Amino acid sequence: MIIHSKYNKMQHRTQYIGCFLLAALSLLAVSCKKDEYKLPTASNKLQDQAIKRTLGPNIVGQQIEFAYAMAILPNKGKLVSCTAEASIAGDSGTWMENKSYFTDVNNSGKDTGVVIGSPAVTSGNTTTVTYTVDTSAATLRYYYVVPEAARGKTVSIKFTAKSSDGEMISTTMGPYTISKMDMKLNLKVTNKTLMYISIGDMAVYDSTGAAAHAGSIDLVYLYRTYSTSTFGHALVAPAADTTYLPGVILPSGVNRNAKLLKVFNLRDHNLAPDEQYGDTFIDDIDFEKIDLTGDPNYAINLKQDAGVWVETADGKYRAYVFVNKVATNTATLSMKRYTINNAK
Amino acid sequence: MNRNIIIALIALLTVSTWAACSKNIPVDEDGLLITTRKDCFVSSFELLGTDYVSVRVGAATIDTTALTVNVKVAFGTDLTHLYPQFTLAQDCKLSPKITGFVDFSDTLHPKQWTVISGDRQVHKTYSVIVSLQSR
Repeated sequence: MIIHSKYNKMQHRTQYIGCFLLAALSLLAVSCKKDEYKLPTASNKLQDQAIKRTLGPNIVGQQIEFAYAMAILPNKGKLVSCTAEASIAGDSGTWMENKSYFTDVNNSGKDTGVVIGSPAVTSGNTTTVTYTVDTSAATLRYYYVVPEAARGKTVSIKFTAKSSDGEMISTTMGPYTISKMDMKLNLKVTNKTLMYISIGDMAVYDSTGAAAHAGSIDLVYLYRTYSTSTFGHALVAPAADTTYLPGVILPSGVNRNAKLLKVFNLRDHNLAPDEQYGDTFIDDIDFEKIDLTGDPNYAINLKQDAGVWVETADGKYRAYVFVNKVATNTATLSMKRYTINNAK
Repeated sequence: MNRNIIIALIALLTVSTWAACSKNIPVDEDGLLITTRKDCFVSSFELLGTDYVSVRVGAATIDTTALTVNVKVAFGTDLTHLYPQFTLAQDCKLSPKITGFVDFSDTLHPKQWTVISGDRQVHKTYSVIVSLQSR
């Protein structure tokens, strides 16, 4: 009797294991079964999609580029118009291309444009391209030049496409925060002539200009070579010790101080657009957070790709000056400048 | 019978695990391994500027008897913001720890760091003497 009971238990256990294995195999078979690919059914409505092509901070005077794609089934109609409406009217130079681009595989992958409509018409906040060809799909590029009125505010762009069957579709991009900072590229400085730099004016002066703008000269550019030390290219505040301004006779009234912090390899993409650097962007927050307390009023031995954080004596401006190029007795500088709200 | 064997096995496993974990590995207050090494010296020294580029002019002179590091820095170096880097003998550590830029502008009172040997028994205090290159 006991033997029979044990035999029954074993039999049950074997049955359970069998069932479990069968279930596991079935699951395995189902999980391995591939669904056949089916072409997705296209929507029969007018469709659109937009992307922002420009990276980094949105700076007054600079372009923000968008690409707006729109399409409708050919048997339903054709595209009629495309409109971009900015929440704050763009500055002069804001426009939309009347070309749709494709990648030409027969021409080394060149971005090739095909005219699809009349040139863009901008009126106030709105820029419109009206289609002149029979097309059911296109991607147009829109370039918004950030106006002074948008500084420190946010901007949205509403793209609208219309088709011949009366349909209309819209996509709103943004809101995008517009930086408070300014930017100036490729300021050429030369030893002993164009050597006086104003952060406030974002300009370079010779001695005559410096005398006329004495109250706004923050830095002096100089280039020196010594056998005993490496001086090279330097940015020095006019109020710095004369050791750092050898042979410089400052124009009358040029005597401001500044704080400088030398850095290397902080290659801002906006300041070095021709050098294809990565995605490093200096933005408003960097100027707000940098602390230049106790930093010196000179930076010597500057090389290409070096940079200098600057704070003006009155605390009104902070700037990042990037050294794009250097050569004997000359350098090319670019700068981003931020106005401090609570300046003394 | 089977139950007794399982209990015995579990007990054995517990005891062996406890024995394995109870090894007394000596570590100091920083969680660093205390070894038997008594070597205690600075083998090389570097000074970086705010741009994290070396400001040294020539190699630093390290005197392991006088316990000094003499280093000359380039003209125009901002002595208030320098980042020192020590290379020490194996298993040594430095006190105080270097956590950022150090002000070396008070040249009359050189900054000091203590090197502590691997066995944490030998302490040697080095003075870092920074001099500025003339123009």
